[in-house]
Amino acid sequence: MPGFFDRVRLWLVSPRRERATLQPSAIAVLGRQIEVTQDFEYDCQDVYRLLDQFAEAVLRGEDVAPWIPLIRAHLERCPDCRAEFEALMRTLQGQES
Amino acid sequence: MVRPRVRENREWLEALAAGGDEREAALADLREVLVSGLRRGLTAWLEADSPQLRALAEDVTQEALVRILDRLDTFEGRSRFTTWAYKVAIRIALSELRRKQWHDVSLDQMLAPEADEALGMTVVDPLAGPEAFAEQRDTLARIGRILQEELTPRQMAMMEAVALRGIPMEALAQKLGVERNALYKMMHDARLKLKRRMAREGLDLGELIAAFEGGNTSGLQIVKGQGG
Repeated sequence: MPGFFDRVRLWLVSPRRERATLQPSAIAVLGRQIEVTQDFEYDCQDVYRLLDQFAEAVLRGEDVAPWIPLIRAHLERCPDCRAEFEALMRTLQGQES
Repeated sequence: MVRPRVRENREWLEALAAGGDEREAALADLREVLVSGLRRGLTAWLEADSPQLRALAEDVTQEALVRILDRLDTFEGRSRFTTWAYKVAIRIALSELRRKQWHDVSLDQMLAPEADEALGMTVVDPLAGPEAFAEQRDTLARIGRILQEELTPRQMAMMEAVALRGIPMEALAQKLGVERNALYKMMHDARLKLKRRMAREGLDLGELIAAFEGGNTSGLQIVKGQGG
């Protein structure tokens, strides 16, 4: 049975999609994401591990600057983790009120 | 409804690890905490106090309790125990919502540009002179060429789907039969490869970034319907 990377590689090179022309706005957004890409980034697991601690720190108004380069960068790029963070903040804010 | 007892982290862990009535009482309290927490946290997805939200909160809580008990030893005590438990429950809830939302959507449909995008949006600087405008268009064209050379059409479609249309990576990953984290890493590798290529070609994307962060004074902005 092929492994994960084999399956993804096979799917990616499959000729089912024609090469599409990118709209300039799409190029600009992707260009921004590429420019801010770092050699080391937090992945979804890294962010998930820290999310509860980070959310509490944000809620307490603590200085989260040291977290920002890695966590915020991931939250900007990953709609899934961003949704989880927003839901957690909403849950905690309701609890505090 | 009986208000759940407030516990310190240590008390939660001890009670949940204990047997008998103490554990049952803690589980009942945690259940109340999670159901009410989910009903607050998911209002961006489902209408507050709706039967759908109540049902989802109840169902998810059952699954979350099993997972929490199973992973109790992974709680590091860096947050309140209930915050950690909310995090576990929210991941289950949002996974379920995404699964329902994207269940009937094929991978190719996820990756297809929306009709609105196909109409054409362009990046223009209304205040720039003809030379500056041509330079901006040239930069975008170079970036577009590199994207097309370095990425397969499907890699590009995936990046567009996530970055431009906010398609959940988990939904994409499920269709591919892989973990969301693995998909994120693969997309990171692709971005890194593109960044290095652009660096080799001496492309400076700073102005482009400034335009999208709203901090520029050059007036670059996205305008709909001005051709591509």
